[in-house]
Amino acid sequence: MAEESAIFRLEGVTKTYGGVTALRDVSLSVSGNEYISLLGPSGSGKSTLLRVIAGFETPDRGRVFFNGRDITNIPAHERGIGFVFQNFALFPHLTVYDNVAFGLANGEKQVSRDEIDRRVREAIGLVGLAGMEGRGVHQISGGQKQRVALARTLVMAPSLVLLDEPLGALDANLRNRMRNELRSIRETLGVTFLHVTGSETEALAMGDRVVVLDRGRIAQFAKPDDVYAKPATPNVAHFLNRYNVFDGTLKDKTFTGPFGSLAVSATTPSDKSAYAVRYDRMQVEPDGSKGSGPAIPATFVASEYLGSSVMYFFETAEGKVIEVEHHLSLGAPKTYEPKSRYMLRWKPDDAIVFG
Amino acid sequence: MESRVLKPVLAVYVVLFILFLYGPFFVLGILSFQQGPEGGPQFPIIEWSTYWYRHIFGLTPPSRVAPLPLGESLFRSLTLAFMTMVTSTVLGVMSAQAFRKKFTGSGLVFYLIVLGMMVPGVLTGLGTSLLANNILGIERHWWSTAFVTHVVYTFPFAFLVMLAILNRFDGSVEEAAWSLGVSPWKTFRKVTFPLIFPGVLSAMLFAFTLSYDEFSRTLFASGRDQTLPLAIYGTFSVEIHPNVFAFGVLTTVFSFALLSVYAILMSLSVRRAKKIAMQEDIV
Repeated sequence: MAEESAIFRLEGVTKTYGGVTALRDVSLSVSGNEYISLLGPSGSGKSTLLRVIAGFETPDRGRVFFNGRDITNIPAHERGIGFVFQNFALFPHLTVYDNVAFGLANGEKQVSRDEIDRRVREAIGLVGLAGMEGRGVHQISGGQKQRVALARTLVMAPSLVLLDEPLGALDANLRNRMRNELRSIRETLGVTFLHVTGSETEALAMGDRVVVLDRGRIAQFAKPDDVYAKPATPNVAHFLNRYNVFDGTLKDKTFTGPFGSLAVSATTPSDKSAYAVRYDRMQVEPDGSKGSGPAIPATFVASEYLGSSVMYFFETAEGKVIEVEHHLSLGAPKTYEPKSRYMLRWKPDDAIVFG
Repeated sequence: MESRVLKPVLAVYVVLFILFLYGPFFVLGILSFQQGPEGGPQFPIIEWSTYWYRHIFGLTPPSRVAPLPLGESLFRSLTLAFMTMVTSTVLGVMSAQAFRKKFTGSGLVFYLIVLGMMVPGVLTGLGTSLLANNILGIERHWWSTAFVTHVVYTFPFAFLVMLAILNRFDGSVEEAAWSLGVSPWKTFRKVTFPLIFPGVLSAMLFAFTLSYDEFSRTLFASGRDQTLPLAIYGTFSVEIHPNVFAFGVLTTVFSFALLSVYAILMSLSVRRAKKIAMQEDIV
């Protein structure tokens, strides 16, 4: 990507908290009008990354650029970057209207009363809270609170909005509704959203592109379908929660794992050797079946009905849990005998080999 | 099983506690209605009267009991308590704000501040007066040397109150304000301060009341003009009359009146908020 079109750019950002490195040499460049989701397990440094961009934390090393300007040493209130908190962080002593008007009314730039009123009502309308202006923020529900937080940020017309697990405090139903709304609001306004989440489904569903953070480093930055189909590292495959990842060693195009030694054709370069097979690419066969292709014996433990598919849980002799997903569009669910042995088989082409 | 023994014991303890807390005040309150000027500060009540209340305001014919030297000393004490309250609260809020982030030597600074309420008052008072007289060579006054000792004494209380309040304060609302382009100072004025205001009020009350009846520090540090506690103590050294009790009752009533006004204002604002909510629900 050309650097001129980048709305924000990180160069070698490193941040340490009392000996613990939260971010290691992170470089990232994001263009305007994009929905970026940032996926990482807790402790991967994803919140720290957001706080460094917002200016709440100063990096130990590295630079932060925003709209072509080096903002590394510029205080948060002069950056013009919006921030939406997981706990909403609404001003509890103000009404919905005053929360949304806060930035316009108290900023460095003088804005006329009429313009404030117009923009505040517009923002409140945008997030669907018209009629709630006079309420205190204690008198509205969690979903409405997050809408107020969003309106409060968007009314300032920022070109970049950072969202720190914005849906984390909402119940599942509301979360799904807010997902669609966040996307459509962003598309309406044409701003860039950087959305931090620990949920892989949320990251894949919402982002135009997905950044995967692993222990303070960017492990992958790609489109959701690429991340899903071609995880860059064994850990990314693990975070996606869609892959059975087997440890082992790769030597001379042969992978040795719990299922024995297999000749592999293509490998994904990685500092760790691993063998990953997607949940829905595994077949369950009776014990002792002599099919072709790699297979591993495992004991059936339990199944879980997910509506459109069923998850089957198996355990190998080493105690590793293997998940197999069966899409119901492919046929009725099968019943397996608990504590019985089965053979789990897959096509060699469906495996991703790291090493 | 345990609570069968423990509960009655605790109940007796609480009753005793309340008795010791309010007992003296009730006794003083009753004795303040003693007949005057012959009636003394002891039972039995010869005759119920408001003589000593009128005596305080100089409404009784002259008698052998001198009127309490209230006027000027009361003014001094109130002024001093007000000055102390403002200074200590401002210092307390600022220093507690500083302690929200760990800084080098913060532990040491913490103990240095808190030392102000640990050191015996007589030592502080005596030390201040020696420092002023012998080393600095300045005169002692209630508004200078005594004021300093009062601030040293009450500042730690205000500091600790604010520290407890800010400890529970969620800093993300401040970050939210910054991210909306509002400067840190304006954020403090518009967000932080309104939210910590109940704490600030407590810190003010602490500083005011501690300063208002401070004795040992003031004794040495105040110089010629006495504050109210010193003036009242001065009258004790001759003979105690129920006029002191009457004054105590009046002071207490005054404090309760202030607290009541505060409580009424609070409940009014809560009720208003509820009313708004109800109206909107109907709409």
